[in-house]
Amino acid sequence: MNQLTYGNINDKVVNSMEPPGRSWMVSMVLILGALSMGIFAWAIQIRHGLEWSGINHPIAWGVYITNFVFWIGIGHAGTLISAVLYLVRAPFRNSIYRASEAMTVFAVMTAGLFPLIHLGRAWFAYWLLPYPNQRELWVNFKSPLLWDVFAISTYMSVSIAFFVLGLIPDLAAVRDESKGVKRLFYSIPALCFRGTNHQWLHYMRGYLLFAAIATPLVFSVHSIVSWDFAMSSLPGWHSTIFAPYFVAGAIFSGCAMVLTIMIPLRRAFPGFKEIIKVKDLEGIAKMIIFTSLIVTYAYAVEFFIAYYSGSQYERALFWFRPFGEMNPYFWVMVACNCIVPLTLFVKKIRTNMAALFIISLLVNVGMWLERFTIIGTSLAHGFAPFTWGSYQFEWAEIWITIGSFGWFFMWFFIFVKIMPSIAIAEMKETLTPPMRK
Amino acid sequence: MKTKFAGAWATFEYLDDTCAAIKELKNAGFDQITTHTPCARHEIDHALGNPQSRVPFATLAGAFVGFGLAVLIITKMALDWILPVSGKPIVSVPIMGPIAFELSVLMAIYFTIGAIFLMILRDTWKHPVPQSRKYKDYDRFMRDRFGIVVACGNDELEKLENIFKKHQAEEVNLES
Repeated sequence: MNQLTYGNINDKVVNSMEPPGRSWMVSMVLILGALSMGIFAWAIQIRHGLEWSGINHPIAWGVYITNFVFWIGIGHAGTLISAVLYLVRAPFRNSIYRASEAMTVFAVMTAGLFPLIHLGRAWFAYWLLPYPNQRELWVNFKSPLLWDVFAISTYMSVSIAFFVLGLIPDLAAVRDESKGVKRLFYSIPALCFRGTNHQWLHYMRGYLLFAAIATPLVFSVHSIVSWDFAMSSLPGWHSTIFAPYFVAGAIFSGCAMVLTIMIPLRRAFPGFKEIIKVKDLEGIAKMIIFTSLIVTYAYAVEFFIAYYSGSQYERALFWFRPFGEMNPYFWVMVACNCIVPLTLFVKKIRTNMAALFIISLLVNVGMWLERFTIIGTSLAHGFAPFTWGSYQFEWAEIWITIGSFGWFFMWFFIFVKIMPSIAIAEMKETLTPPMRK
Repeated sequence: MKTKFAGAWATFEYLDDTCAAIKELKNAGFDQITTHTPCARHEIDHALGNPQSRVPFATLAGAFVGFGLAVLIITKMALDWILPVSGKPIVSVPIMGPIAFELSVLMAIYFTIGAIFLMILRDTWKHPVPQSRKYKDYDRFMRDRFGIVVACGNDELEKLENIFKKHQAEEVNLES
């Protein structure tokens, strides 16, 4: 194995940006197929209304809000890895943070679609914003839904800014390795960056501040998403543990998605095996174990509080989740989120790429089901027994969900071909610099 | 750039040579120094005397602006369209928390980005670099080479060249 040097990091990353091969093309066709079906299903739903989704009374928040929370959760790991792990100088961060950051941006872009899809009449989405209007009507700042609008839009702005700022030195490196039109293409976003001391000084200080500011943002955004639920007076939702429970769940699912994309990326570009080391992925696996234990504890606490509160509605709901008609979702969720990650305690498993990839997929499934269980079962089993209900998945929402994965992976596949998916400058920082003595 | 560049630039393969050259240049009284590195290196900062950035002031200012903006819009809109909720105050302070936090972060980020660009432009203006094609086309600074650019008078070029050569510069280019 060649030892990494400043020069060959550039070569490996630039090689990954060569024109796509057959496997990329085939994958892209499948991805665009899924996306097209999603768009078609959405178009049908717009034409015929939300009755084409499974949304009903009392479950007025169904698959779309589940998808929204799921994708926002996925978006958490990128900023966690790029900001929080930057501040604590985690050694496994540098090789994976660029792709994780891209994942964050694309996941938040995906999440942002779902409130619009859920609205039905997506063209009225701007009503959520406080804009001056003829009726002198303003939005209700007392609503956590409006806090969410601010939280998500801020998170998206900060994630994009963080991502783009981090890209500048690497785009400059790619520019200097390119010729002709390609060089011109990378010159523009590289913003004349040439690695001068003046550029690095302000850039690095700004980057550190970005990380410091983005760190509380990571925790605030999913806390605010959790308050969409916790501020409601509904069994299973109205709970003070929701903010930390959601944040831990978001990091858990986000880390799983990082593995889901990094393992194939590492396989697709053989040069990356020397950069993305097994111990880097093992670091993420350890974070999955840690957050899985928090999530498991939160599940247990919810049941205990339901019992200890003495509230018959809470007790009824927490009986309904494991033993009611929607119980398969609950048990699969428990298996995927609480039991499967325990296997990562075994070093042989957490250093085996195939096993790690399968576990990451199962965690993704489990975390999607967790959000569906929280939303679906609580709404299905509220305070008034005569409004209890159930949920039937409809084809439109299933295809829109599959289409959302198409949308996410389409951006990611484009990203790996036109942008450096490994942070070149930060990888160089981890190496011993060339020294004469 | 302020004026036509006069001075010299050199490239180095090793970081310790670069740092030693910077230290000697500073001791010799050269203060218009620009360095090139493929990634941020603290060794270069130490050799240059640990310069400080003022970007954090802009970040703090941005956070205050965002906080003020949030309080202002929430208060204005609450008073403009009164929505009574269970006898709670019309202008409620606790509910300002999330929006004030988010807007503080958002503005702090925008101000930080602006400050990074403005301060880089200001420093680039103050420290001229060669305008020659050779310098502009040199494309290994972002790959694996270190560089030092020094602006000085024509009478100091020989002294400068000697310092660069003493520290085993790969390439020395004089521009007058």
